[in-house]
Amino acid sequence: MIAYQNGDDAALNEIYILYKNPLYSFVFRYTREEQLSIDIVQDTFMRLQRYKHRYTSEKGNLKSFLFQIAYRLMVNKLNRRKKWQSLLPFLVPLENDEMHHVDRMTIRDAVAKLPEIHRAVILLFYYHDMSQQEIAEILNIPLGTVKSRLHKSIQLLKEELEVKDYGSRSF
Amino acid sequence: MDQDPFREEHFLRKKMDEYHVEIPDFPMKPRPWERWIDFLASPAKNPFESFLSTASGILLLKIVPIIGAIFLTLIPIFLNFIG
Repeated sequence: MIAYQNGDDAALNEIYILYKNPLYSFVFRYTREEQLSIDIVQDTFMRLQRYKHRYTSEKGNLKSFLFQIAYRLMVNKLNRRKKWQSLLPFLVPLENDEMHHVDRMTIRDAVAKLPEIHRAVILLFYYHDMSQQEIAEILNIPLGTVKSRLHKSIQLLKEELEVKDYGSRSF
Repeated sequence: MDQDPFREEHFLRKKMDEYHVEIPDFPMKPRPWERWIDFLASPAKNPFESFLSTASGILLLKIVPIIGAIFLTLIPIFLNFIG
């Protein structure tokens, strides 16, 4: 990142290759929308280019910085969409239900069913190896809130998955 | 140091590990036209779906435009009579 801040444009490409996949998978698991996830990742890198001098290593690592940008963009976009949908209800996009494997469908559904405030915490913690402190910085919430949301989301996921697992075995 | 809350959750970890995401290939820079086309082409809910589920609803959807067209045709005729 320092190389990029000093004018090495090739370094940006390396940053993109390194973080494109984790950013995309985070946004996709959160929204389950391919096009929206692509848009968010691209916008994140546009913003990184625009505000590259705002990043300093004292603020945290580059991964957290990028996830913070992506999370804010995603939440803003989803909130804007909700407002439009309340004005024009027929603009609701159809749910993408392309699922082939029963187990994958179950975990996808369970994650999607989590309240938004819990979903981000568990995705960042489990799939992106973020510490609770890093999650607190990305989501701009206190550390204690991260701990409680993480605990709650584990409980909710367990309940959801165990109920479904029990239900599928009983048939 | 953070304690791993998943340490004892073997069942949940197994399930979570099954959630894979396929990453499509896309460039770093967005193309505004592509986004616009994707927005226009994205499937949306049919606003008349509730009408289509019943026979009377379908009939209503057919009759309303006809009545509307007749009404719009009659307006200039009436205005002509009055004028």
